[in-house]
Amino acid sequence: MTLTQAEAAGGPITAGGPVTDADLVRGRGAAAARRAGRSAVTIVAQALVVIVIASFLTFALGAASGSNPAAVALGDQATPEDVARLNHEFGLDQPFLVRYVEWLGGALTGDLGRSWFSGIPVTQSIAAAFPVSLSLALGATLVAILLGGSTGILAGIRRGTWIDRAVTAVNAVLATIPAFVAGIALILLFAFVIPIFPVGGYVPPTVSVTAWLLCLVLPSVSLSLDAASDLSRQLRTSLVGALSQNYVVGATVHGLPRGRVVWGHALPNALGPAVATLGLHVPRLVGGAVITETVFGMPGLGQLARQSAISGDVPVVQGVLLVSVVMVVACAVLVNLVLSRVSSTERSAA
Amino acid sequence: MSGPGSRANVVVRLWNAGAAVRVALVGLGLIVLVGIFGPALAPYDPLAQDTAIALQGPTLAHWLGTDYVGRDVLSRLLAGAPVSLLAALLAMTIGLVLGAIPGVLSVFAPRIVEWTSLRLVDALLALPFILFAIAFAGLLGNGLWQAMAAIGILLAPGFFRVSRAAALSVTSAQYVEAATLLGASAAWQVRRHVWRSVAPTITVAAIGAIGGALLVVSSLTFLGIGVQPPAPTWGGMLASDLEFLSQRPLGPVAPALAIILTVGALNLLADAARDALGVDAATVRTRAVRARKETAHATSA
Amino acid sequence: MPRLRDRVAASPSLTTSGAKGVPSFDEASLVAPAVAAVRGLRVSTLDGTELVHGVDLAVRPGEALGVVGESGSGKTLTCRALLGILPAGTRITGGAVLIEGQDLAHADERAWRDVRGRRLGAVFQDPASYINPAVRVGAQLEEVLRVTAGVPRRQTRERARELLDSLGLRDVDLVLRRRVGELSGGMLQRVLIAMALAADPAVLIADEATTALDVTVQAELLDLLRDLRRERGLALILVSHDLAVVSQVCERVLVFRDGAIVEGGATARVLRAPGHPYTRELLAAHAEYGLERYLRS
Repeated sequence: MTLTQAEAAGGPITAGGPVTDADLVRGRGAAAARRAGRSAVTIVAQALVVIVIASFLTFALGAASGSNPAAVALGDQATPEDVARLNHEFGLDQPFLVRYVEWLGGALTGDLGRSWFSGIPVTQSIAAAFPVSLSLALGATLVAILLGGSTGILAGIRRGTWIDRAVTAVNAVLATIPAFVAGIALILLFAFVIPIFPVGGYVPPTVSVTAWLLCLVLPSVSLSLDAASDLSRQLRTSLVGALSQNYVVGATVHGLPRGRVVWGHALPNALGPAVATLGLHVPRLVGGAVITETVFGMPGLGQLARQSAISGDVPVVQGVLLVSVVMVVACAVLVNLVLSRVSSTERSAA
Repeated sequence: MSGPGSRANVVVRLWNAGAAVRVALVGLGLIVLVGIFGPALAPYDPLAQDTAIALQGPTLAHWLGTDYVGRDVLSRLLAGAPVSLLAALLAMTIGLVLGAIPGVLSVFAPRIVEWTSLRLVDALLALPFILFAIAFAGLLGNGLWQAMAAIGILLAPGFFRVSRAAALSVTSAQYVEAATLLGASAAWQVRRHVWRSVAPTITVAAIGAIGGALLVVSSLTFLGIGVQPPAPTWGGMLASDLEFLSQRPLGPVAPALAIILTVGALNLLADAARDALGVDAATVRTRAVRARKETAHATSA
Repeated sequence: MPRLRDRVAASPSLTTSGAKGVPSFDEASLVAPAVAAVRGLRVSTLDGTELVHGVDLAVRPGEALGVVGESGSGKTLTCRALLGILPAGTRITGGAVLIEGQDLAHADERAWRDVRGRRLGAVFQDPASYINPAVRVGAQLEEVLRVTAGVPRRQTRERARELLDSLGLRDVDLVLRRRVGELSGGMLQRVLIAMALAADPAVLIADEATTALDVTVQAELLDLLRDLRRERGLALILVSHDLAVVSQVCERVLVFRDGAIVEGGATARVLRAPGHPYTRELLAAHAEYGLERYLRS
């Protein structure tokens, strides 16, 4: 995806990368200094504001839907009395703002309501689906770091050689392949050609750690390709840039071996933008997991959201969205905190 | 001068930008033609079922084979083109209107409005895209319009940021103050410069956004949201191909290629447009300086 | 000749390391083997354009050699060839690079690693950009001491302190804890000199090392270089466009132009009685806008 939130993003919450307002108006240096000066408190405070607004939007979405508990639970047989009765039971006859505050308050204590369809507490359904999504997100991040990191560093060190050209070409191709196509391609490959990994389902680590790891391999790879290619490209660019800096010449001239110069001096300075790029992909890993979960038949948050959205089960949808937003924002805060520490040492030197 | 000039000029400049771009333009042109005339070009009725010949590979009668209920894949692909393409185009337009206009206006708005809109945009950007699109489209009725509106609303913050950044680069504070102090005609010049400076940036963003929107539309239809079967969509075809993968392993190739080629062409075009229209941070800044000088001239004369 | 040179080379007082001789020009040093030299050096770009056309340069132990010339005259490329760090896109197409008699023109990284820092050191213009901005300078100096000079880990802190102290820095402990952005140009250049001399090389290449600094700081650093030469018998290759500096510090001077040396010899001779028209031009330009002219008028 070229223009999406990712490309245009660059404000307070998402990790700073492409051009932002401030950059354009005041010139890069001043903006960077401002960014570095943002304290941890500011970052967390802004994150909280965003979560509150997002929760409001989520709740408003649920409220705006024409769905009601009777329609979901009883379907076509719901009589108007049923509708009124169940509405009262679920507290839907109260004013909007009251319901919002109650819902938010309940969320803080871990109570997200009950499903209109099954009556199961939403928190319970989410708790069942959460480990699956978390495993997938972590797996994809790990694969992205391993694949993207190694190829990016290789291409950066061996600039201009065939390795570099190969990596760049593969990255360009991968950037255009959507996640579900990659997933299906992987299934084709590993189900019919080289049947090693299972092509679907989920086994919790409590049952069998090996089975759990095996069933995570293909979905993680499929989900990570987008992030891995971006990370690889970014790392290569920053590494090439860092290696052309004078301090690399300085370190070499003072007799430090090439390996130490690359790994100890150039690479740490190149990591900043790479971490930012990875941070930009975290929302996609949480949101894009829906497709991968469907393709590989994994019962995660994405599947939960999809099924409940189609059946109109509002409390579950709201709960899943809220949890996802919190996860995404938490990751963004972490990335921003790491970045502000990294860039503050660089900026004070500039 | 600032600004790309007439529309024809832009296309000519893009055409001259290189071989890759020409391939992309030609390919895109073909796809647009298919989008407009597709259903008419389909050899068979895309909805006609014939279970006797279900799940066949490519044959002379059916160039791309048949799906799990015997429908001709090629016809479905051609018929599905306008749906997917139009949905993507409309979603992008919704995003553009909802995002770019407030984005530019936010630069002139009072401080409190500006701050609120920025926080709102931050919040929207924090929402996981597909998850929210699913929730939105699913909860508000599982139709194509809902899906397009959902995608448009989620694309809007991106447009907002991009157009706001472009507008900011043109209207630095002193410059606007001076213009407004000197009267309406100067202010009008400012507005004109703002739009002219912002237009190329938004164009580039828009082209890229269609590609992104197409991917999301395909994802949504893949998940069964937005368009109900049996209506053909590229994403929906992929989903049913996945179900019957063992019987027809090469099934997903056709719709997948359609999606990849279209998105790829759009991305190539967006990159070329960015180069041809000279839209990047440095150029936006240079344009700002130039615009400032021009207005200084006009107001001093 | 060779036999005389061998006999002199064998004599301990005139060998390359530890030559604690007189800093001024000394006839006998003519016959001491050069500690760093290039002979007939040719450097070209990858597509064949020759940038350096057969340059001969040599510096003997304890000697100070000045290299003057405009930008693009090939002096920086020659220094980089001496260090084995020619920029990407250029390569040595002829001649020899002799470090203590060993030709390293086509040597691999491992051979160069033994030489850099241990036999020759270098400092450059804009010291801030030649030190890693993300790491404290103390840690970097200790790293060079440990890796290049082989100082045991436990003693690196102490040696770093001693080194910076001997270079005239006050508040050494404070400086060691700082990063690049928190130190002034003069301090940074001393840190860079410390890193360059950490492993006690025989030659120091100073490529426009004082150009970007204030005049007073420049004077201090030049004094420092003079003291270093006296204490360690350090040879110096001073590259500068400032003829005044070169004239005060160096016994011999080479004039570069368009990739070749147009004139070379004792400073006194070259600057008072230049042979080549280009040298005369340089001197005239210096005289035109020099301080002496103003003071005299």
